[in-house]
Amino acid sequence: MVELRGVSKTYPNGTVALRDVNLKLDKGEFVFLVGPSGSGKSTLVKLLLKEEDATEGEVYVNGYDVTSMTRQEIPFLRRSLGVVFQDFRLLPNKTVYENVAFAMIITEALPKEIRRQVPMALALVGLSRKANMYPNQLSGGEQQRVALARALVNNPALLIADEPTGNLDPETSWEIMKLLSEINHRGTTVIVATHEKSIVDEMKKRVVSISKGLIVRDQEKGLYRDEDKNNPILF
Amino acid sequence: MKIRTIRYYFKEGFANSYRNKLMSLASVLIVVASLIVFGIFVLISLNMQHNISIWKEQPQLQAFCYEQLDGTQISRVEDVIRGDDRILSYEKVDKKQALERMREKLGKDAAILDGYGADIFPVSFVIRLKDVSNSNEVVKDLEKVTGIEKVSYSQDTVEMITRASHWFSLGSSLMIIIFLVVSVFIIANTIKLTVFARRREIGIMKYIGATDWFIRWPFVVEGVIISITGAILAFILSAYGYKVVADRFSQDTFFASTNLLSLLNIEDVWLRLAVSYAIIAVVVGAMGSFISMRRHLKV
Repeated sequence: MVELRGVSKTYPNGTVALRDVNLKLDKGEFVFLVGPSGSGKSTLVKLLLKEEDATEGEVYVNGYDVTSMTRQEIPFLRRSLGVVFQDFRLLPNKTVYENVAFAMIITEALPKEIRRQVPMALALVGLSRKANMYPNQLSGGEQQRVALARALVNNPALLIADEPTGNLDPETSWEIMKLLSEINHRGTTVIVATHEKSIVDEMKKRVVSISKGLIVRDQEKGLYRDEDKNNPILF
Repeated sequence: MKIRTIRYYFKEGFANSYRNKLMSLASVLIVVASLIVFGIFVLISLNMQHNISIWKEQPQLQAFCYEQLDGTQISRVEDVIRGDDRILSYEKVDKKQALERMREKLGKDAAILDGYGADIFPVSFVIRLKDVSNSNEVVKDLEKVTGIEKVSYSQDTVEMITRASHWFSLGSSLMIIIFLVVSVFIIANTIKLTVFARRREIGIMKYIGATDWFIRWPFVVEGVIISITGAILAFILSAYGYKVVADRFSQDTFFASTNLLSLLNIEDVWLRLAVSYAIIAVVVGAMGSFISMRRHLKV
């Protein structure tokens, strides 16, 4: 599903964001990517979306060889996965329905298909009744749910959420996380980059901890911070 | 590309230009101005060519015999002219015809010819050449023929005007190019503003997997909408303006009577004007969009 082999990333300004990262995710997994800001989690997400290129190593996502991919292929990689961001990234002048439908319009989907899929995605995130509202009429949690519906409407095999709850209060954050978990139960592989300690600890999923560009821990049913609390190199 | 996607591009293109009303309007006006300047040059150019071709149709050479020549001498001159294979056709104007023509030319002043007979006029030959370019040579040869007093030669004027129109076309092409380049950049600037206004949206589109061209096409459509609107306005204005001028001109007694200059009717020129406006508009609009996208739209 997702595999990184010996991936390093150095930015042009000399910042080393990732060093020799090896990571493998199987289909249907739910993985938390944790680590402090600047640890390299965002870079890792960017590599998966081919927003950045790896300096070294190989990246495979959904059967795409991301490393050797041409510019023209990038849109098709991105269509094969759903992405959710901290700042929602909804189109302000489109309604909830249109925002979700837009993800299908760009794939040149059939109108019939769009009319079928969009209500399903909205129902999944519990926003059927707000389909005709605009993003600025919604709460943060609702906006993030619209973003989720948009990410899911094309039925991607992989969902990547980069700090999905960063702008939300704890209660709403929980709702979003539960939703992500539910989506995972339906068979979608989910990667969540976060530093919400309480949520990670509670959910007991696989935790990949990154620090200073290195994977310092990869643990099934892990906690946000483990014994490496005592490791002076990392914290 | 599917029809519904094309429809999407047009919808977005229109929405973009509407959202950016003021700049769009400014660009449309610049396009109108450039195209009208272009149209004026084209119309002048077309009319010059039209008149040149009329002048070329007119007798190119007229060989006048000495007026005291008798019939046999004249037919000897005629033989020479007939035998010259550079001459396409000729027409003999005898003394009587010459008098008639002079009367016609003088109109109401023809009375001054009263009392004179046709004898004072020379017999002449109106000659058309196969190829205008060797007219100088023919004139020289004809002047050597015994019995021919002089050869009048309207070709000088035609050549001068042809040369003038050549320089005119060159000069106006240069001006037109400058104007069109300005239009392209104004449109590019308008598109730039749209791109900036929609940067966020473009970013989102990229994240959810829109292809480069899916993002670009609406901007191309926007540029073309601007320039086509400009072209339509320019066409209406210049066609109407030309019609007014041409009508005035045809009613003007001086030009109407002398046949010196004639203007093409609007019916003869509108299609050429419309087609060239349309082509230029599409090219200018698309170029403006492409320049803007190359610089500002890193998709």
